[in-house]
Amino acid sequence: MNLSTHIPIILIATPILVAALMILLRKQPGMQKAISIAVSFAMLVLSIILLSQVWSGGIQAYELGEWGKYGIILVADLLSSGMVVLTSFVSFLSLIYSLDYIERKSLSASYYPLFSLLVAGLNGSFLTGDIFNLFVFFEILLLSSCGLVVANEQGGVTKSSDKMEATFKYLVLNMISSFVMLVAVASLYATTGTLNMADISVKLSAMSAAGTLPWHVFAIALMFVVVFGNKAAIFPLHYWLPDVHPTAPSPISAMLSGVLIKVGAYGMLRVFFLIFIDTLDIFKPVIMYLALATIVVGAISAVAQTDVKRLLAYSSVSQIGYVFLGISFGSIYGITAALVYLVNHAVAKSMLFLTSGGIIHHAGTRDMRKMGGMVDSSPLMSLMFLVGAMSIAGMPPLGGFIAKFSLFDAGIGEQYYFAIGIALFFAIFTLFYMFRAMLLMFWGEKRDVEKYGEYSNHGTSLLMSLPIVVLALTVVAFGIYAEPLIALANATAHQILDPQPYIDAVLVRVVR
Amino acid sequence: MNNTLLSLTIAILFGIGTFLILRRDIVRVIIGLSVLSHAVNLLIVSTGAFAGTKVPIITDDGGHGAAEATGAIFTDSLNQGILAPVTEAGQHVDFVDPLVQALVLTAIVISLAITAFILILAYRIYEEYGTTDIRELRRLRG
Repeated sequence: MNLSTHIPIILIATPILVAALMILLRKQPGMQKAISIAVSFAMLVLSIILLSQVWSGGIQAYELGEWGKYGIILVADLLSSGMVVLTSFVSFLSLIYSLDYIERKSLSASYYPLFSLLVAGLNGSFLTGDIFNLFVFFEILLLSSCGLVVANEQGGVTKSSDKMEATFKYLVLNMISSFVMLVAVASLYATTGTLNMADISVKLSAMSAAGTLPWHVFAIALMFVVVFGNKAAIFPLHYWLPDVHPTAPSPISAMLSGVLIKVGAYGMLRVFFLIFIDTLDIFKPVIMYLALATIVVGAISAVAQTDVKRLLAYSSVSQIGYVFLGISFGSIYGITAALVYLVNHAVAKSMLFLTSGGIIHHAGTRDMRKMGGMVDSSPLMSLMFLVGAMSIAGMPPLGGFIAKFSLFDAGIGEQYYFAIGIALFFAIFTLFYMFRAMLLMFWGEKRDVEKYGEYSNHGTSLLMSLPIVVLALTVVAFGIYAEPLIALANATAHQILDPQPYIDAVLVRVVR
Repeated sequence: MNNTLLSLTIAILFGIGTFLILRRDIVRVIIGLSVLSHAVNLLIVSTGAFAGTKVPIITDDGGHGAAEATGAIFTDSLNQGILAPVTEAGQHVDFVDPLVQALVLTAIVISLAITAFILILAYRIYEEYGTTDIRELRRLRG
């Protein structure tokens, strides 16, 4: 058996098995820790191997059960394997961080298994080539992330009633969106008689070429805008995000903001550029104006926040708008820029959320007005926050600058002057709210000790600062040496805009 | 089968579900979600019931053998414009697509898990807040 051809299924099955193992091992925390870290690292290595295989050898299709296109197929193209690498990277670092951050009891009873399931759900939704399977993996990651949001962190800054309220909103909204997705999948199945995304694509383009594309395909595409918009928290559906991301424990906020909202952007790229190519003329402006509204609403709301994690959450809302703006350009350069932006935001925002965990640990509160002068007592955290804030705001030496520059350049090249004008104006807002947070927390006078008490003297442990430093180095590397990332994103964009190799890889094979 | 009664039932269930979700009581919201999930399940099942069309069953040889000769087996062919099971061709058969039943089972199991989770969550919210009125859940002001 050649192991290297089975990597797609290993990436999905291993975390599920580990989740079961973790429940059995809940009386031995040491073993749980060793196994989950080892597996998470192995997943990172495997995902990088998968990406390099796809990069050199083309798209891989992996059949489950040898049913051909009638069964479930896992497809690893550059987009999905790249997203899997991103997931594995962020989840590995978040897992290391959570060893010291999450409360011991919560950690061994529910945290490890649910975290593994979350990784399985993410990898599965990126790798699957079957649209109903995509729904199943969405549900896996929805339920496991709900369980993780209510996990207790050490110190207990966030009340558990807040967590429950946030989870309730998150769950109800996402349940409704998953019903919408089921309706859309069922209608798509009734229209084309298949659930395989490549097959659906072939059949819809055949219908479109024959001029018999039914009108309800447009309604189905609109439903998918709602579903992925809800996952990515774009404008009319963003209200759950600023509640859920701040109340979750910091490593989970990093996973949610870093990877989970990117699932929506991934789904948009996959479904719209593979299946609904013929409806894109109508939906490109829709996505663009929703993206612009998201940028505006997120940036304006972020300016007024006093809670550090809430500010970062609103910033996530605003930044995902930029990703969708790049997607809505629909050109190769636009999608390249969107992908570069996506990766940079994922790395920088997970780093900021992990840093905010260290800050909250240190200050004992999430309210920025009750902080101040922390640059003396916590220099590492303030340096890391500066790196993250500068990257999100798009300052030159860091990754965020490359992302914003290529996005605006793509927009100007496509002559979307109005959209770029709005995006550019609110990029200045980003700079403002990020540095306002920086000033409030790290500079200025030390806080009123009589009123709010002394800062806790236990600084961030090695296990907590190591992931932050690694992520910060990545952010700097993406800024200084951005060519490999841009080359990868460019190749991915070519693959997205020309779905024929994907369809060939999936469909040209013998049934049984 | 484009059964009007079935469509009407699904529509009414969707209406009841939406109405209940907009209520103030948490338990009613959860019941509404349940009703909505059953409406969706019925919709999925209804997409798999056909009459007077070809049967979407794959034969061992990938649909290129004896079974195809009767004209009752569905094989998709882009040239002939046969894209979905809903194509009028061959002899009259009544059949139910087995795939949608598998889909609906999966959907039922998933909605069972989520309903169990959300009921426990609602109970804990009741313990923490002392009420099941959803308007009281605004401490986060989201």
